[in-house]
Amino acid sequence: MAGAGRGHGNGATNGRSPRYSAWDLARRGLTGEAWPPAWRKHELRPSYDVVIIGGGVHGLATAHYLAANHGITDVAVLDKGYIGGGGSGRNTAILRSNYLTPEGIAFYDRSLELYRGLAADLNFNVMFSQRGHMTLAHNDASLRTMRWRAEVNKLVGVDSEVIDPDEVAKLVPRMDVSSEARYPILGALWHPPGGIIRHDAVVWGYARGADSRGVQIHQNTEVLGIDVVAGRVTGVQTSRGAVSAPIVVNCTAGWSSLISDMAGVEMPVHTFPLQAAVTEPVQPFLDPVVVSGTLHVYVSQTDRGELVFGASVDPFASYSTRGSLEFIEGLAGHVLQLMPSLHNLRLLRQWAGLCDMTPDYSPIMGPTPVEGFYVDVGWGTYGFKAGPVSGEQMAACIATGATPELIAPFALSRFAAGELVGEKGAAAVGH
Amino acid sequence: MTAATTPGAATRLDPQPGEVIDRTDRFAFTWNGVEHHAYRGDTITSALAAAGVRVFSRSFKYSRPRGILTASYLDPGCTVQVDDEPNVRGSHRRIAPGQAVTAQNVWPSLDRDVKMANQAVGRFLTAGFYYKTFIKPQRLWPTYQRVLQRFAAGGTAPDTAPDRLRYDKRYAHPDVLVAGGGPAGMKAAVAAAKHGAKVLLVEEEHELGGHLRYGDTGDLDRLALLRAEVAASDVEVLTDAVVAGRYDGNLFAVVERSAPGLTERLTKVRAGVAIVAAGLIERPYVVEGNDLPGVLLSTAVRRLINLHAVKPGNRAVVLTANPQGDAAIADLQRAGVQVWAEDARAGGDIVRILGRGGVVGVEVGDGRKVPCDLVVTATGWTATTSLLNMAGDRPVYEPRIARFLPSQLPDDVLVTGGLAGDDDLDELLDHARAAGELAAERATEPGSVRGAALPVRPIVDACLPALPLHDHPAMFRGPTHGFVDFSEDVGSKDLAAAVAEGYDSSELAKRYTTATMGPSQGKLETVNAVAAVAEATGITIGQAGTTTWRPPYAPITLGALAGRNFEPVRVSPMQPWHEVHGAAPLVAGAWIRPDHYGDPAAEVRAVRDEVGIIDVTPIGKLDLQGPDVPNLLELLYVNKWQKLDVGRVRYGVMCAEDGVVLDDGVTGRLGPDHYLMSTTSSGAAGIWEWIENWLQTERPGWDVHVTPVTTAYASMNLAGPRSRDVLAPLTDVDLSADAFGYMHVRTGTIAAVEDCVLWRIGFTGELSYELHVPAGYGLHVWETLLAAGADHGIRAFGVEAQRTLRLEKGHLIVGQDTDGLTKAGSAGLGGLVKLDKPNFVGKPELVWQQEVGVTSTLVALQPVDPTEVPPEASQIVVAGRTVGRITSSRRSPTLGRGVCLGQVPPDLAAPGTHVTVRLPDGRDIVAVVQQHLAHVDPEGARLRG
Repeated sequence: MAGAGRGHGNGATNGRSPRYSAWDLARRGLTGEAWPPAWRKHELRPSYDVVIIGGGVHGLATAHYLAANHGITDVAVLDKGYIGGGGSGRNTAILRSNYLTPEGIAFYDRSLELYRGLAADLNFNVMFSQRGHMTLAHNDASLRTMRWRAEVNKLVGVDSEVIDPDEVAKLVPRMDVSSEARYPILGALWHPPGGIIRHDAVVWGYARGADSRGVQIHQNTEVLGIDVVAGRVTGVQTSRGAVSAPIVVNCTAGWSSLISDMAGVEMPVHTFPLQAAVTEPVQPFLDPVVVSGTLHVYVSQTDRGELVFGASVDPFASYSTRGSLEFIEGLAGHVLQLMPSLHNLRLLRQWAGLCDMTPDYSPIMGPTPVEGFYVDVGWGTYGFKAGPVSGEQMAACIATGATPELIAPFALSRFAAGELVGEKGAAAVGH
Repeated sequence: MTAATTPGAATRLDPQPGEVIDRTDRFAFTWNGVEHHAYRGDTITSALAAAGVRVFSRSFKYSRPRGILTASYLDPGCTVQVDDEPNVRGSHRRIAPGQAVTAQNVWPSLDRDVKMANQAVGRFLTAGFYYKTFIKPQRLWPTYQRVLQRFAAGGTAPDTAPDRLRYDKRYAHPDVLVAGGGPAGMKAAVAAAKHGAKVLLVEEEHELGGHLRYGDTGDLDRLALLRAEVAASDVEVLTDAVVAGRYDGNLFAVVERSAPGLTERLTKVRAGVAIVAAGLIERPYVVEGNDLPGVLLSTAVRRLINLHAVKPGNRAVVLTANPQGDAAIADLQRAGVQVWAEDARAGGDIVRILGRGGVVGVEVGDGRKVPCDLVVTATGWTATTSLLNMAGDRPVYEPRIARFLPSQLPDDVLVTGGLAGDDDLDELLDHARAAGELAAERATEPGSVRGAALPVRPIVDACLPALPLHDHPAMFRGPTHGFVDFSEDVGSKDLAAAVAEGYDSSELAKRYTTATMGPSQGKLETVNAVAAVAEATGITIGQAGTTTWRPPYAPITLGALAGRNFEPVRVSPMQPWHEVHGAAPLVAGAWIRPDHYGDPAAEVRAVRDEVGIIDVTPIGKLDLQGPDVPNLLELLYVNKWQKLDVGRVRYGVMCAEDGVVLDDGVTGRLGPDHYLMSTTSSGAAGIWEWIENWLQTERPGWDVHVTPVTTAYASMNLAGPRSRDVLAPLTDVDLSADAFGYMHVRTGTIAAVEDCVLWRIGFTGELSYELHVPAGYGLHVWETLLAAGADHGIRAFGVEAQRTLRLEKGHLIVGQDTDGLTKAGSAGLGGLVKLDKPNFVGKPELVWQQEVGVTSTLVALQPVDPTEVPPEASQIVVAGRTVGRITSSRRSPTLGRGVCLGQVPPDLAAPGTHVTVRLPDGRDIVAVVQQHLAHVDPEGARLRG
């Protein structure tokens, strides 16, 4: 098998995680030899070259690419809880790149490209399932927006097309495409490269990749303050003591504006809960990811057979991650409008995550007025999709000191310069 | 003979004193196509167990045979398909005559499932094995994935929807909600009711009584007394119902699984005070072989014997650490089962359970192998703290009793029964009575907790007697490794391996192994999983903590959550006419309206040449009254309003704070302090909220009353050169051009209907009158106008014709020709914006836009080839890059050619510029930017005529 012949199979890796392969899986199965840790524990050192706040997919990917692409390995990733416990573990793991603006498409398409190669890149199966992504149009206004997205996508080489209700029914046989539906389906934007992935695996894969290159991951290490002297960041105060660092990166979500406040950098961010829910498993029947803006719902079926549901952000700002009853009531009603036969499936669990919304529905990435303090925040409802490309570009930004072209549109300075990104166009018209 | 069934092994016992089966009502059902018989009152698994069936499912990963473990809703190996219903809990659901019950996800059969092959390679399928393999070559991953999907658990979702309503919702507002109808819950409910409270008592099982139901005759006597007390009280009782979730404001979701005539009903309970008396769940013992068919919890054998008169085996080994286990031994012996007892309190233990398809023996603590066909464990309890957790509690682990206890709760949630502590029945009932009385007091006292902000206080301050705690040995795992999560096939060894690999917190180990993520959501498994993580990391269970319990406590069908479908449809009073006259329906948000009546081009020509009439009732209408209305209009519109005279109408545009166009419409002044505002149809609700938001939060001192009157009026637009001729004979308003000019408003009588509002405006570009008629007379006025217009060639037109007409005229539609970032200047509305006004919403952004210039602007375009009509959203490209788009396009019946509106960059906006339009089919065509937005009558002569 691939990977087996490269001399990694003997476990002699200086405490680093050995290469995963079917061969080694078989060998350990036979000998009973245990797998060493995927990442290690460390004492918190008094200084690092780079401190990254937030051990989610963004923070860990940034750390990984700093080490892998730029040889910067004296990096600490700090998380107040466990890795992947925030948005990275609460999202619905949907990937797509059929955005509206050329900037948005180019950015997310690079992310999709990295996701496609991620399992091999990280030697960790992240189980990316490119099963296609379908956005339903229930009125002519959303059908027009679908065409708009499809046309822009085609121009930049992303596979998207508008399909009619018959094709929708072929792809999702249980869908009610009749004209008797309360909100009849007029068509859909069909995006074959989209799909779902195992979100925790992405987090763990990056954590393992970063660790193997010397990055230190510190869980249960809460940042309590950021030290700034004469307009320059000098380190952070944590629940485990002070750490000095010339570069501090805010890769948090949910609390990103509070973390930036510690450095005296104000963020145009409002935090809203986003709720989700999952059903008991049933035998596979739903292949693509299905999204309906009109009905405020998206649905996918995992390999395990569960249906995963998400919706729009709650209509009020809050840091609460509790779910509400009215959410699952509305959600169920909308799901049954799409697929009425699912009436006796049972909802198993609901939860909420936090979304940092910016005025133009686009992130804030790159340097800030405080020298050495970088941000990768404001990820709204689309942060997970962008994990790999954000890590790659933030690492390049930090390592070279120059903002890469791909993330230049997302600079904090755009709010002062009035150069907002047009993704809100789709969001505002699409519903 | 296979392991799955033991034909002829009839195991039904003689009648038992507490049995719930009705031996006079025996009926047939099928299990995997084979007919069996049950008594009314049997669960699916009790009926099958009585017939000798031991295996009900194959496990998720290794396809191991699984049988009864808990004999309750949580039974992980007894989930079956019943007719078209997947994932039915076979140890809870009572079987009904004629039902077809099948095993889920086995192929070709329960006896010989192909996935059994995994048992042979189980040693390689360690925790998270799939993360470590199938990595290369990547192109094969989709194939691997299809194989993995074959392992998906669960039954089969139905293909078709139910043909009638089978779900419903209900609301309840009891003073006291009691979750759990065991002895404590019953006592608490009765006490609260006696104390004057309105009480709702919810029990998950089919009858009240909790563990007393399967107790000895002494227990049954106590139960009879308690049931009599409940029956004599005013307590409302729901059985086979479960309190599934607690939400903010003491809102509870109660799922009723056997409401009459319904599949499920969701009762939404707003409780004054809730008493959680959910009791304890018996915890499985983790030891090798603990998942074999024939390994049961002590409560499971007591249920089988005492409730269903089923003899669970012939030779049993019982590991007991508590009185419940001792009672199970007594029950087994009474049922004629030979019992080998291992008393954990005296150092007894079991090392491993032997067998392949089912139990054949046990290796006990001293190394001896005891043959048996039944293993029973009574090793401890898990507190059902889910609802408490949802109420904000963080339960704490108490090592003395080896279970979690509540720590602090809000005043509107109380705890009693086994969750609160141990003791004999009398003391527990005293505690429950006190809890019931306290709940009633809190819920009914003046200024009660209901609705008030609630302090969180420690449970010890909760004014209830403290219950003693009885020492219990901490037994989680035996000398060998066994299964922790039966539905996910996760063992203690997997959890230890996960910890060793760095997944060393409860949350990470749970996510890595998927322990506790299955259908019982950890109620059975969580504490054993935490214990395994704690053991592997060398910390205590208390330090390891539990994972967060999230709602629902028990799964709820989507049907019950959705209830009846209450998606209202709005139609205008003229809808009956539209339907009779062949209108093609257009779904526009909540409204259904006529898209056209068969020939939209002819409808356009009728308006241009003669006269047409359209139903525009969905247009948002807000009645504004008060002296500060001009200030409000001045604040929210970008143009000026202070000098609007009575009888005048003005077009206005609203922008949000970011300068982006929000809505447009006309507002007319009907009287000195009285205005009527119109909004876009889709913006009707949003603009009302927008206005109220400004008035209530930013300008509370302003004297303005806003009344939404969208559906108080039926609205119609009479448009075309002959519209005046049609309307004049029917109204007392002087329609002459001098008396009622363009952009004026009048009130008067139309077709004998008083209090109509007429405004002379022209979205279509023709002479036209928009008529707002009291809604009840809408159809009358509509039909009268059509009759009067017959001689003038009047024709009803729909939304499609109106869109074409307005496009010919170059009138934009907000949200179509603008998007979420289009500021006024980019919508061709720059001239309307009055930056010399002192202040209005969006002004700073629009000032700024004026300074920096627009990046995009709205223009009219015509394809050079008049036969081309580029579809809306076609991109305008320069060197293959998108620079703009067609926002609106139609074939113009008036001009006989394609006409468009589009967004283009400023350097392409000059009249006469040729732009390249990329069509969806890939072709490029050329279109020319026009002088005016209007393709027809740019001077507006027709409008003003």
